[in-house]
Amino acid sequence: MNRVHLLLRLLFKAAWVRKDRAFTALVSVAVVATIATTALTIYSDLESKLSREFRGFGANVIVAKTSGALSLTELASISKTIGADGEIVPVGYAIATEAASNTRIVVGGADIDKLRKLNSSWSFSNASTGSALVGARVAETITHGADLRLSFGKTSAVIKPAGLFHSGSDDDSRVYIPLEDFIRLTDIQPSTALVRIEGRPQEIQNAISRLSAALPQAEVRPVRQITQAQTAVVGKTRSVVLASSAVVVILIMLCMVATFTGSVLERRKDFAVMKALGASNRTVNFLFASESTLLALIGSAAGYILGCGIAFWIGKANFDAAILPQPLLLVPVLLGSVALALIASTAPLRLLQQIQPAGILRGE
Amino acid sequence: MFLRLLFESFRRQKRRKSVALLAIALGMSIATAMIAVGNNIGDKINQELRSLGANLVVTPIEDTLDVNIGGVNLKPASEGAFIKEQDLVKIKGIFWGHNIKGYAPFLSDRQRIQTRNGEINAELIGTYFAQPLHYGKEQFTTGVRSVNPWWKVEGVWPQDYGDFPDQLPPDVLAGSKLAQHAGLAIGDQVEIGGRKLRISGILNSGGDEDQAIVAPLHIVQIILHEPNAVRRVSVSALTKPEDAFARKDPDKMSPAVRDRWYCSPYANSIAYQLREVLPNARVEQIRPVEQNQGKVLSHITGLMLLLSVAALLAAALAVSAAMAATILERRQEVGLMKSLGAGNSAVASLFLTEAAFLALTGGLIGFIVGAVLAHRIGQSIFGSTIVVHPVVLAVVLFAAVVVTFLGSAGAVRKAMQFDPAVVLRGDA
Repeated sequence: MNRVHLLLRLLFKAAWVRKDRAFTALVSVAVVATIATTALTIYSDLESKLSREFRGFGANVIVAKTSGALSLTELASISKTIGADGEIVPVGYAIATEAASNTRIVVGGADIDKLRKLNSSWSFSNASTGSALVGARVAETITHGADLRLSFGKTSAVIKPAGLFHSGSDDDSRVYIPLEDFIRLTDIQPSTALVRIEGRPQEIQNAISRLSAALPQAEVRPVRQITQAQTAVVGKTRSVVLASSAVVVILIMLCMVATFTGSVLERRKDFAVMKALGASNRTVNFLFASESTLLALIGSAAGYILGCGIAFWIGKANFDAAILPQPLLLVPVLLGSVALALIASTAPLRLLQQIQPAGILRGE
Repeated sequence: MFLRLLFESFRRQKRRKSVALLAIALGMSIATAMIAVGNNIGDKINQELRSLGANLVVTPIEDTLDVNIGGVNLKPASEGAFIKEQDLVKIKGIFWGHNIKGYAPFLSDRQRIQTRNGEINAELIGTYFAQPLHYGKEQFTTGVRSVNPWWKVEGVWPQDYGDFPDQLPPDVLAGSKLAQHAGLAIGDQVEIGGRKLRISGILNSGGDEDQAIVAPLHIVQIILHEPNAVRRVSVSALTKPEDAFARKDPDKMSPAVRDRWYCSPYANSIAYQLREVLPNARVEQIRPVEQNQGKVLSHITGLMLLLSVAALLAAALAVSAAMAATILERRQEVGLMKSLGAGNSAVASLFLTEAAFLALTGGLIGFIVGAVLAHRIGQSIFGSTIVVHPVVLAVVLFAAVVVTFLGSAGAVRKAMQFDPAVVLRGDA
């Protein structure tokens, strides 16, 4: 029987004869690997997942032309900068007079569907089959759900409402009509673009700088309360998840080290028998170390798979979007577990080496 | 006899017991820290979300439409209706008064502004900066500095004056774009409506205020000859995320249900209470803020809840494994006891009592360590403490006992299954 064969047999027998001991060690390694994988996977994806939550706040950047209208090339360059995930709604504003009450109303011209999509937090109630969106206060004070007779200086039109909206802002005093009708009635081209940039706080900042550089003729104004709140909330949440994960992972690691160390110390008899049979300190160390390495590898591989599964499920359950496994984490998790197991199993051996095998075997 | 056995077991197996104790204490500090953080995260993030500013807006019911384009207000101050400033303090007196983090009244009008470089037209906005007020016995400070935390001022924030000061002109803020456009600098004097004002700071809000002069409310009331008048009030309140119950109409509820609705800090119920104290006012949710902060909040608390559950399960498994490991090593002891005539129940009760003792001690240590960790996390991330509710101690101790019992029970049963003779010979 050669040495390798003997080693394998020793390893296998050590695990098999004391299945329960091997099992508890395996469980403690797997728990550490699982929780570490879960926490790190979630942490790495948290910024983008949380940033998506800020989608509903509406436009986070307003591009306004200081004079004149936004040209098609300017709109195209905004679209290019914000990418496919962003949203852009060009809006033109004019003041009209309501014929019956002789009240001045701000009328906005925009793509109504895009405007509704951008401001998903507004509450909409459908009125009739018209095309205009009527602000809650306009409906309350003037139209009461009826059609709106607006005159824009030379032109005038009867506006049929498609719906009524509540926003809680100045928009409640406005009426939005389709952009083509607006241009036809007022001959004004949109000079403002409501823009929503998708992404993490840093990416939004970068996009804003690129927009400002690309549009020297226009004013690029971040809606600071939204960008600032997003930065604060995303940053703080990331810190909390990181801090609490760090606490959990470190404490549970210590817990695993204690279990491991304890079970090695319990094997002082094995240790003494081996020494008494003539094994050198190195051989014994090697044997214990390879046993723990094997356990740590199996345990952490299982833990990694389980951890990825838990992170995936948490993403699905909480954010309605899966948090995908991070293959890059596999190696650190495996190596970390092995290193921990090695430290936990070989450190107590040093303690045992100071005692004579005979003493241990006699039960001292 | 039993007590002596117990005592000796602890005295003679200090190392083994300390390993188990350490594992339990570590597991329970995880439990304490995660429960505390998970429990507090909602409140903390809710506070952070207040950096979004007001979530409710109060306007006069009788008011005419706002005519506002690109930050230029075309509605004259004399038109429309007002809210009485003296009524606003009642906002603090509503049922959820403690959830009102602040409010800021606004009164504005387009004015001719005389600067040293000539005359310009710009918006004059009156508001509270940090106005000290009292409602009943309660003292509080409110204004844009707390309600609109994203307003940045270069220079000095003006004070809130009760009346026009006799000597020095009162301090005001100039919006950054207006200052740039009109060549205004800190220390300059401007004249509005025949009254002299001194610019103490340049305001950068990122909004329409950047093109305006922002002055103390009472000064603006004097300039506009509208004493006690306020056009709009922004209210920042801590609210509970809206659900289906929150959206119900309180007037169609039975008294018991209505009480429950009234006593929940929904934006809708706070708005309802504001309407009760401010007649002739309409209170609207600022929907982008109110609707979304609830969503963000519930997802963050949900995430922390799931993470906490995962951590608690992991801690439970780790503690169970540690307990099982220490007991599995003691099968010789079990063998010895049984060969000396001890029954299964006697052996089990000894081991479980030991486990309970370890669990309680470990749980207590873990609770203290976990509370300190949670406190640290709160301090370093949110700058405010995370309070661990005393009930958590009971939960943690109970959990510690359950988890250690679960870990030990299996191992003790396993140890008892073996024939004592076999165990003592060392063949098991």
